[in-house]
Amino acid sequence: MSFLEVFQYTRQDSVIHKLDPRAKLFMSIVLAVVALMFLAIIPLLIIFCCLVPIIGAAKSLRRWSRSMRGLSILLIFIIIFNTLLSTQPNPFSHSLALTLRLVALMTSFSVFFLTVHPDELSQALIQMRVRFEFAFAMSMAMRYVPTLGQEAYAIMDAQKARGVELDKGNLLKRIRNIVPIIVPLIIVSIRRALSIAESMESRGFGANATRTYMNVLKFRKRDWAVVTVSLLVLVFVVYVRIFVPLPTWMLWQLPI
Amino acid sequence: MIFLENVHFAYDGLYTALRGVSLQIDEGELIAIVGSNGAGKTTLVKHLNGLLRPDLGRVILDGVDTKHNSVAELAREIGLVMQNPDHQLFLDSVEREVLFGLENLGYSKVEAKERCERTLNNLGLEGLSERSPFTLSGGERKRVALASVLATEPRVLSLDEPTIGQDARQKENLAKMLGELNKKGKAVIVVTHDIEFVIENFPRTVAMADGRIVADGPTNSVLSNNEVLERCSLTRPQLTEAARCLHNVFPEVPERLTLIDDLEAVVVKILGGG
Repeated sequence: MSFLEVFQYTRQDSVIHKLDPRAKLFMSIVLAVVALMFLAIIPLLIIFCCLVPIIGAAKSLRRWSRSMRGLSILLIFIIIFNTLLSTQPNPFSHSLALTLRLVALMTSFSVFFLTVHPDELSQALIQMRVRFEFAFAMSMAMRYVPTLGQEAYAIMDAQKARGVELDKGNLLKRIRNIVPIIVPLIIVSIRRALSIAESMESRGFGANATRTYMNVLKFRKRDWAVVTVSLLVLVFVVYVRIFVPLPTWMLWQLPI
Repeated sequence: MIFLENVHFAYDGLYTALRGVSLQIDEGELIAIVGSNGAGKTTLVKHLNGLLRPDLGRVILDGVDTKHNSVAELAREIGLVMQNPDHQLFLDSVEREVLFGLENLGYSKVEAKERCERTLNNLGLEGLSERSPFTLSGGERKRVALASVLATEPRVLSLDEPTIGQDARQKENLAKMLGELNKKGKAVIVVTHDIEFVIENFPRTVAMADGRIVADGPTNSVLSNNEVLERCSLTRPQLTEAARCLHNVFPEVPERLTLIDDLEAVVVKILGGG
């Protein structure tokens, strides 16, 4: 699951980390939309070449490349299956473009998730008029992912101690072995959710209808700059896409 | 039978939990492991059945290093009940939950059924065998988890905090069951903070602090040693405290007494009885 690393916040001291999460969200969405508007190798490569420096500015190139390596098996699968099953005139180039698009999409959202702390995210949502309860639920969900992982290991230990052989037997047996892990995991999670809810309520959660916040996000000049540039790029690309046909060199395809 | 030889262990290679622990466990022993939170007690018992492997040192079962044995293999010989029962219950009736472990270890249907019934009776669960474990109370779930391992009657049984959430009667029942297993020659190891439970049922106590064994010997001498109690953040047992008070008035009362019978004998003697 190493490819998920690219969606996990890492503490770094970088320009991108310091940006306002709302500006970053806008930038990520623009990058993703731009990637979705093209399905040819050259334009997607150009987008890709814009994304890599951004990841570099977030000081996360190594993490990103590790994730991409983890993803490579899936990417190869996509290429092979699309090439074999596609009805396009040039299936290989088409599936290559699809894969590039997937990588570009993942990368543009990873810029956001890599650099936004869960607390910042919920604060940004609140300031974007999302109700506090929903924003809070979301940051709680993110907070409990690692806890769930630890719990899974503890459950595996408990079942192994009862003689369950998790890594033995044929495929069917291994799949059946998931049951003693997954059932306690779900039950424990539900139990925990209920007890967290109870303990939150007994500590007065929701007692005040209007909340105030200690750290309020503020748009700075650099955030406005990012939003402006993103907006200009978006307008430009949409205009070009609608009114200007792509030059032929941009539609270049592999000869196979 | 089991011998831990100079075991060192650190979680993720970073968080040191055991710093050279050596422990010999023989057939038919009743051992309590006590110590403050974070002393390494749970880490130690997880080494017995191979859930954790020592970074340094060896775990030897019947003279053979267990490093090549899988946990499932070791589970036949060494039962371990973890602290949280919710980590192991997953079937839809108490009976099936107990049968599950027995079937894993390859007992025949008849024998498994028989053992299951006996264990449930001994733990006061007989009326609950058709219930879903998830509808039971915390204390009951704890006993179901215990039952599922107790039923397999392993040669060594280790229990991590078995008395949490149990009332006095359930503790007594548990102690009785452990005693019966022990009479059959099984070794029982219990990790606990419950000092009275230890004094009443466990002749040998191992005290741990900071990843090391600081005392290992007869319970009454380990638990009346002030230095050990201090290092393991344990409170002095009430009987020891009573003996100390009596000692101040009647010097013939020994300061270190942990068993009620001993104290009774001394008091009777002071009062001039026979």
